[in-house]
Formats: sequence, structure tokens, C-alpha cells
Amino acid sequence: MSETPLELSRYAIPYTPFRGKLEEATICLVTTASVRQRDDRPFNVEGDNTYRVIEGSKPVAELTYDDAHYDHDCVDRDLNCVFPLDRLRELAHEQRIAGVADKHFSMGFSQALRELRHSTIPALVREVERVRPSAVLLTGG
Amino acid sequence: MIGIPTVLITVEPEESAQARPPRALAPLGFIVGQSLGRPNDPSLQKRIITDALELLLGPARPGEVISREYT
Repeated sequence: MSETPLELSRYAIPYTPFRGKLEEATICLVTTASVRQRDDRPFNVEGDNTYRVIEGSKPVAELTYDDAHYDHDCVDRDLNCVFPLDRLRELAHEQRIAGVADKHFSMGFSQALRELRHSTIPALVREVERVRPSAVLLTGG
Repeated sequence: MIGIPTVLITVEPEESAQARPPRALAPLGFIVGQSLGRPNDPSLQKRIITDALELLLGPARPGEVISREYT
């Protein structure tokens, strides 16, 4: 694969068709809600262009968030409000999806859009590609 | 290059529409931090996720943010 990033027209929508059935799909979560494993390093709530990997086997009780920009009323009681890993596991248990990916990902709060676009997101996308999910479910904060 | 299908759940449909996502669901009436609705309401959260995942199966509507009521 070329090292040159793929450049799309700003008017282009990078739409990838989904093939197959949801019952056979493995789903990966990617969020911008600053979620991380409790044993991982915290996000800088003032601005952070790094991302964290969340193991697919981690109980949601072992996850937390570092944020100062969105309403916390929901997440303080139930992190599934922004990172619905429990719900995906239940859908897998009910055989409505095949399973959850081995890894999920979270970005933090950032307004450094250029760096996000040129380094953070390409690195994150390479990790998602290695996980090879059938589809990615994206959530915000 | 082989892409990976994505679907977005957003509570800021107007902002998200500017990014022209390939697929997006906006559950109406919820604020940032409550993308999946309410805390400890698994059935509502699962309805929203299921509706989002079903956008993977539906006709292509790239760039469109599809709003639904859940209240």
C-alpha cells in the first residue's frame, strides 16, 4: 500500500457498502468521548490528540472517561450512554450480531483538527484495519 | 483500498451533517453525553444501536443524517 494518504475531494463521501448480514457481523466501537480503561493513562481534558485502545473483553465497570466538555449526568451512571459495549455484547448474546471486535478505540477532546486529520486519525484507522471488523459504530461524547 | 463500513450515532445532526457521514442516525431529544438515550435503560439503548446498525443494510443515503424520535 502506498505511504501517500488517500486524498478525496472535500465533496466526496467515503461510503463503503456493507456486505452480508448483521448476524454475521463483528462490530467495533470508535468514540470521541474520551473513554479509556481505568488502568490506562488519562486523557488531557484540555486537549489531547492521542487515542486509547479498549480491549473487547474489558467489562464496562473497568472503563472510565476524562472529559470537561459534555454533559456527564448520563455517563456517571452508565458509560453505555456514549460507549455501548454492554449493549453490543447483549446483541451478540442474542445472536443479532456475530460479536464485538477484539479492540475498540476512543479519542479525546481536541480542536487541533489538522493534527487529528494528518496523524491521529490515520494511525487509528490503521489499527481498526488490523482488527478487521465487519463495521464500525461511531459515537460522539 | 478496501474500506470499512461505518455508521454514526450523533446527537448533533446539524454539525454531523457538515462532515457528510456515510451513514448516521440522530436520536432526537438527547444531548451531548447521552448519545444512547438514558442511563441504565438497556432496551432504549439497544433500540438505538439496532436502528443504527440497520442503516448498514438499507439503501445507500450517504451524507444524510436520519433523525428518529425515541421518546
